[in-house]
Amino acid sequence: MRQPSAVQQHQRRLLSWAALLLATCACTKESRTLGPEQPQTPPAGASDPRSAYFEGNAFQISQGGRYFGWYGCAQCHNDHATGATDLPGRLQANPLTFARVYDAIAHHPGTSPQISKQIPVQQLWQIAAYVRSLPALEPELRRRQDLDMSGEPQGKNWSGPVR
Amino acid sequence: MRIRLALPTVAVSLISCSGIQTGLSPVGDQARSQYFLLMLSLAVCSVMFVLVTSFLLFSLFRRRLDGGDHEVLPDRSLHRSLWVWSAIIVGALLVLAGASFWVDRSFALAQNSETLQVRVTAHQWWWRIAYRNPVTGDWIETANELHLPVDRTTRIELGSADVIHSFWVPNVAGKMDVIPGHANAIDLTPRQLGWFRGQCAEFCGAQHARMAFDVKIETSNDFDRWLRTQAEPVRPPIDAVEARGMEIVTTGACAMCHVLRGTSAAGRAGPDLTHVGSRRTLAAGTLPMNRGNLEGWIAQPQALKPGTMMPAISLGPSDADAVAHYLEHLQ
Repeated sequence: MRQPSAVQQHQRRLLSWAALLLATCACTKESRTLGPEQPQTPPAGASDPRSAYFEGNAFQISQGGRYFGWYGCAQCHNDHATGATDLPGRLQANPLTFARVYDAIAHHPGTSPQISKQIPVQQLWQIAAYVRSLPALEPELRRRQDLDMSGEPQGKNWSGPVR
Repeated sequence: MRIRLALPTVAVSLISCSGIQTGLSPVGDQARSQYFLLMLSLAVCSVMFVLVTSFLLFSLFRRRLDGGDHEVLPDRSLHRSLWVWSAIIVGALLVLAGASFWVDRSFALAQNSETLQVRVTAHQWWWRIAYRNPVTGDWIETANELHLPVDRTTRIELGSADVIHSFWVPNVAGKMDVIPGHANAIDLTPRQLGWFRGQCAEFCGAQHARMAFDVKIETSNDFDRWLRTQAEPVRPPIDAVEARGMEIVTTGACAMCHVLRGTSAAGRAGPDLTHVGSRRTLAAGTLPMNRGNLEGWIAQPQALKPGTMMPAISLGPSDADAVAHYLEHLQ
């Protein structure tokens, strides 16, 4: 058999690297550890390293969106919301740090008992990540998200499986 | 040597012939039809295999049997045997196709008696099960445990809340896919009393393997009694510990996702807990139902079923015990 030339070898190496890269791309965006190592404490100030992970992780954000519906947040904070309930608009005008957003949800006015007593810490992290992502979420993406969630409850109402 | 190898092989092949989750010991009409189909195709294929193999061997040793080294003349009988072989193959295929068509059509036939209507919704990773209340016509919800009256057809209406799942109780009937946006139904006609096990049969995410449910086939009287109990609202606490448990469940995080009918707990995202203590298993067939497992499940569900939507709930030891004590007795 003829030995491959240096150029061919180089091409092959490039190709295998490309294949390897292709196989791993988009894997990091959703990477997560399953198991008991979930956050058990609220964010400790603006420099908490966990915030960056939650904000950059597609799984945690979408899971937060799911709980946003389950716990009835979306009943007021929806696409037609104006003024105080219009979260994307408010966050666009006045960006808050992750810790501040988390705090605002945990101590949401007008709920009794307090939200931090009703929603466990690990889910509050995910909901905060979702709320932080709202200004960047395009209407079309949000519409698709709502479609995906049509079989899930909105607060205390469940309208049956996906039809 | 041959016997030493053959014995374990036979033993292994016999393991799956009985049990609570196998199509090889059918207890329902639909599973029996499919079992018949399986045995028929096994028989037809075995006969064909033996025929083909023996003729192949015959042709290999034919010349040696002749004893001659002479030249082989064109075989005149070859033409005739080709016709015979074709007839055998076509006949066998017709038997298989006819039988599977007949079995398939028998599943689609209308039942000659009234069917019991049950709604099953698949969630990641548990089953929401709803029965019609015979008195009021309302839907009575339970989860992860299907009760069926014996000798009566139950029509399961399948729906999915998220991704594609598949509903499968192998001892009673075949699989039916559960597809979001599409209404599927499957009939179950059980003929034998007992406990069996159903399982999600379409990969649906991290905890697909722990998405099972118990199936109890019982007499008509037992079934009616069970359904009456399930229709009742939650039983009031009988002592101080249970009262504390109830307070935590109805005012804390549990109430956000779980229903206790008759209390303020009315979340819809998780399984109905009104009669959770009456079920045989916990977390969709993951653990046997008892107080220890309930307590462990509430404290650290992510360690027992990683990825489950159930979050860890941190409670003090006495509160955790009160909650488990209360839930365990919700018969």
